[in-house]
Amino acid sequence: MNVKFDQVRAKQQLLYVSISLSTVLACMAYTAHGHSWVKIGKLSESLIIPILLVGELLKIFLTNYFNKNDKEIVPQKQKRKSSLPSAGNVFKGIFIQSVCTMLYAFTCVILGAPVVGSYEETFVLSIVLTLLTVTPTVLLLGASGALQAVFCEKSDLLTKTEDIALDLNKHHAAGAILGAWAGSIVAPLDWDRDWQAYPIPNVMGAVFGYGMANIYMCSKVLFKTGKVFITKKRS
Amino acid sequence: MVFAWNYLFVLIWIAYLISSGVFLFSRGFLLSRVSKQDFSTCRLLSNDPNEDYHLNEDLVQEIFKDVNASTANLCLPKKSKVVILVIDALKYEFGLYNPDLDNPLPFENRINIFNELLTAQPDHSRLLKFRADPPTTTLQRLKGLTTGSLPTFIDIGSNFATPEINEDNIIDQIIRNRLSAVFLGDSTWTELYPKRFKRQYSYPSFDIFDLDTVDSEILKNLPSELEKSDWDVLIAHFLGIDHCGHRYGPLHEEMTRKLTELDGILRKVIDKMDNETTLLVIGDHGMTGTGDHGGESEDELNALLFAYSKSHKFITSDYGSDNVTMQQIDLVPTLSSILGIPIPYSNLGLINFNILPDTPVPHMTKYQTLLLHAWQNAKQIYKYFYNYALDNKRSFNLESMDSLESQFLILTHRVNTIYNELAFKNFMKDLNAHLRNILDVCRDIWVKFDANQMSQGLLLTFLPIFFSFLLINNSKPIQLANIFTSSAVGFIYLVNFAAGVFAYRYFKKLSMKTEEHSVLFVTNIVSTVMLAILTLQNWPQIAVNWSNTKRFSNVPTRCIFLISASVFFSNSFIIEEQKILSYLLIAVVILTLYELTEENNRFRLKTKFRLMPFLKSLEFGLIVVGVVTIILLRLAYNFFQCREEQGNCGDFLIGGSVKKTSRTHLYMISVIVLLLYTTLTRIYLRSCGNLTGFSINVMLARYGPTVAAVCAGGHMLLTNSRIKNVNPSQIDAMALVIYALFLLQIIIIFVYPLMTYVLPRRNPTTITVNPSGNVIPEIFKKMKSIYEGDQKDQRGEIPVVYGLATIYSSVLISFGVFLAIVIAVLLDAKASLGFAICIAVGAALLALHAILRYRTATNLESCCQPTFTAVVSWYLLSQFCFYATSHQPTMSQINWRAAFVGRSANFDHSNFISGTLVLFNTFCGQIFFLTLYGLLNTEMFALYALFPSLLRRKTKEKKSSSNYSDIRETIINKNDWKSDAQLMDFDITRGDLVLYENEHLFIGSLLKLATQIFMLQGIKVFCSMMACTIHCRHLMVWKIFAPRFIYEGLATFISLPAIIFGYLILIRVHWSVSRMINRINKTK
Repeated sequence: MNVKFDQVRAKQQLLYVSISLSTVLACMAYTAHGHSWVKIGKLSESLIIPILLVGELLKIFLTNYFNKNDKEIVPQKQKRKSSLPSAGNVFKGIFIQSVCTMLYAFTCVILGAPVVGSYEETFVLSIVLTLLTVTPTVLLLGASGALQAVFCEKSDLLTKTEDIALDLNKHHAAGAILGAWAGSIVAPLDWDRDWQAYPIPNVMGAVFGYGMANIYMCSKVLFKTGKVFITKKRS
Repeated sequence: MVFAWNYLFVLIWIAYLISSGVFLFSRGFLLSRVSKQDFSTCRLLSNDPNEDYHLNEDLVQEIFKDVNASTANLCLPKKSKVVILVIDALKYEFGLYNPDLDNPLPFENRINIFNELLTAQPDHSRLLKFRADPPTTTLQRLKGLTTGSLPTFIDIGSNFATPEINEDNIIDQIIRNRLSAVFLGDSTWTELYPKRFKRQYSYPSFDIFDLDTVDSEILKNLPSELEKSDWDVLIAHFLGIDHCGHRYGPLHEEMTRKLTELDGILRKVIDKMDNETTLLVIGDHGMTGTGDHGGESEDELNALLFAYSKSHKFITSDYGSDNVTMQQIDLVPTLSSILGIPIPYSNLGLINFNILPDTPVPHMTKYQTLLLHAWQNAKQIYKYFYNYALDNKRSFNLESMDSLESQFLILTHRVNTIYNELAFKNFMKDLNAHLRNILDVCRDIWVKFDANQMSQGLLLTFLPIFFSFLLINNSKPIQLANIFTSSAVGFIYLVNFAAGVFAYRYFKKLSMKTEEHSVLFVTNIVSTVMLAILTLQNWPQIAVNWSNTKRFSNVPTRCIFLISASVFFSNSFIIEEQKILSYLLIAVVILTLYELTEENNRFRLKTKFRLMPFLKSLEFGLIVVGVVTIILLRLAYNFFQCREEQGNCGDFLIGGSVKKTSRTHLYMISVIVLLLYTTLTRIYLRSCGNLTGFSINVMLARYGPTVAAVCAGGHMLLTNSRIKNVNPSQIDAMALVIYALFLLQIIIIFVYPLMTYVLPRRNPTTITVNPSGNVIPEIFKKMKSIYEGDQKDQRGEIPVVYGLATIYSSVLISFGVFLAIVIAVLLDAKASLGFAICIAVGAALLALHAILRYRTATNLESCCQPTFTAVVSWYLLSQFCFYATSHQPTMSQINWRAAFVGRSANFDHSNFISGTLVLFNTFCGQIFFLTLYGLLNTEMFALYALFPSLLRRKTKEKKSSSNYSDIRETIINKNDWKSDAQLMDFDITRGDLVLYENEHLFIGSLLKLATQIFMLQGIKVFCSMMACTIHCRHLMVWKIFAPRFIYEGLATFISLPAIIFGYLILIRVHWSVSRMINRINKTK
């Protein structure tokens, strides 16, 4: 209860969350606009993947940009970071992401997606899931950093920014996966709607779950801030 | 030990409470009727003077002297031939014609022929509302239209395996009276009446998207059939309009086309038919605004009947018959009267004179003819109704029966005194009213749900689940012995018995229908009150335990279980249940894997991620196990059977063309899997040390499975192979060997359960000499050993027992092997592969959960008690197994083949054995997994005893990370369990012996686990019952919801005893273990 309120932390979290929320809103706006949801399953026609990708990149750049001004939160031991990642690192990152995409595709098939019949839809879904779960961490920490974050004990090398972002990423990823999982609930219903076709509820579920996780985290931070604000006023 | 037996009685008690609730509900919901096999006969009055029962003046005089006595078995001559055109889903509105309509809807004003004939020849044609009884599905309607009774969902006594009707019906009567019938159209008829028709042109009806094939095939043959004159009845069943309704609904232009087409067909038929024929155009049911049917809305119930005869006038409506509406069941007696055949035995309908052709019977006036018909009908209904009531006394209210009987007696006296038309008309009015009364009484029991029993059933299922869960699940296992003391259990049974006797004696005063209902209701209420009292008594400790448990724990698992239970509320979820179950099951496995690798440090990779240590770590191995499990679950998709509603499916067809070509080599694989499975379990048991020694049960466990597996493999090969000249008794023999071994195993478990071997102690003073050997070396060895010292003797002091570490689980497993082989034989090749997958998944789940539990457990209690996730996954697996073994919860997809395994050569017609075998086949998942539910408890100990290496890694880690505490608290003083718990570490490598030493904990947690599974099953069946109650007027209730409930109810009746049986095995083992250990201690 008596966790010391960390103003910088709250600021950072809010920044991060608001960017992801706007991405989600963009996705929602896109799908709602003129029956675009029918196209979600098609790799070449859907705009969901570009929107999400742009959102993730934006998140990294904006946080980096804003944090440059905040000298105090950059600890001394941050030396390993150069401004631009090396080619090998980029390659490694892409490799890890594609492995993840494959893993997600495999999971989709395992959970009941047709093996051959709708590989494109499966592919789209797994890319969306990768973008929502793995990509933020890879962009943030680099390939090996992401692996470390997942499989190893907590590294001390993380900066505070990274630590905050990682914590948020974890919740968002959980939200996205749960959302995609729960999206299947409409699949067996006999309503004969066009949005019941295979990847649409799952993709939208993933985006929605991601958004819900964002809102949850956001409200948590706001709640904390509000509480501190009120106690301050009282005293 | 006494407390263990107490728990057994507690389990039986709770199981009884839950099952009785389900039973009460099913009595109210599943309307059933006993179908009677008797048939009516009659003597035909002939127009031909050469026949011995020739119709002449004297005979008529004779008959009318005593109408009541003489009509009993007497048929008037045939009036005309009949053409029946059954138009599926011909709604009453379709046949109306309204010339004032400016722009008619697609289905309006399309059939003009009725209107034209009605205006041109009003005496030769009739248009009536043809009112169906629910359920308005084609099969039930056809049964109603031909037997004249009210078909219920379950007609007890009818043959389940084939849809053939064995009740008396109009088709059989036609054949029996040497008339002949020709049929064209929907193959449902020929399934109901195989080999009855003189000529039949039947076409399958299941492709509802095909509007025209069946109709056009009928039209090909109809004209030529109409020209022939060798038939007396011609039936043609058109499907187009029904299919059009299902596909497009009535408001589609296709409907216009089909109705116009029908108009044309009718014109042609009327044109072709001869003067002596009566044409009946009937719809079997109507359709709703969306074109569906099955329920009981006005739209669905009102079909159409049109009658036309070229030469004969129809009898006018002066004689008391309704000229607006005709009940569908009235068709049977009316047809019988036209054809001059006896009215089928179980008919409840009345003759409708409006559509009876007015052909004069020689020497009789019109009213006399009608009187004979009507009285014949009345006698037949009376006979059926009172015979039925006599056999099923419980069904009817006695007072109303008495009054009905006295009314009928009055009528029998009146019938003999009718000498003019006016008296006849009056009489008919009373007679019809009386017979309709009887029909209403029957409708009450066969068509209406008993809401009272249904709500009682719901309540009485819910309350025991709720209280027993509250009481048992929230008490610590060791506290349970304190709650269920011998006196408490004895008192519970005594009170229940007293309540039962009381309820049996005074069931009328309690305003219950039957003794059985009253006994179930009263005992259940009393028991619930006692459960509530027990809960209140122990409330302090329940509250304490409750406050200790983490709130919102197991949320994902709970969600998954609730989803699996809420499947019942939507028909589309029920249709796709197999996929939903596998989806959820996979989710549970992934959840377990996540929990296993939850903390980062589980992989013991310090800071840098490196591939090799990652691949070597135990967690990676566990992940691989999990992934393999998941893949296996996905593979089980191949063994699903599809059901009719899924579309594009042929599995549901009875005796349909089973595509054999793709499965030719499947049985080879299943034989291999079977042998592999047996070998693996044998290796497992041997490495546990449970196959040492020469006692009979060990011998059985060692060689029995091999023999059984070889027999099962042989059985599968021979039944599937193309070799045709195998003597069926030889195939049977193999199945019989398996059954015998299984029974032997059950007996042995209860006589001598322990699969251990106590190494005989060496007697230091004697020496053993083998006959061929020399004595001198032995003496030398002995002397040497004595000289060398006493270490060896010391070792002899410690008794060596093989297989003690896995003493509980080994018995369960060796029982499971036999059970699995029996089930595999019953399932046959394809489904047994699915079963093998389920077993493999079960084993993997056990291992994963055992490791997870040991890691997360903080004390012995939580070590004994499986996590909720484990229980749910085990339970879901048992449900999933139903689908993985090619079953579907529909009435047509029961696997009857299982009833003939081992009995094909000389079938003994024992329904009990057939039923048992089919139930074993259908509910193999529940039987197998729930009998072995104890493994959830014991497998962790067995696993760690067998692979201490799992542990060693753990201890290594313990040294490295100091913050991890491996100290688990356990209660050492087992006899005085009330004393404070002491902290000490227990040695997990001692295996099941730990359980023995903490018997209160062990048996208590077994009881707790059993109640948890009771609760899961109870909640599921409760949800199913709720869904049926909510949807009891739903379109799909008889097609989807009711069968699903029947399956779930049966699963409840089977799972609960299976769990109790599993518990019984374990406490029997426990009893023997304690005796053995006492014996060893004494000899020491």
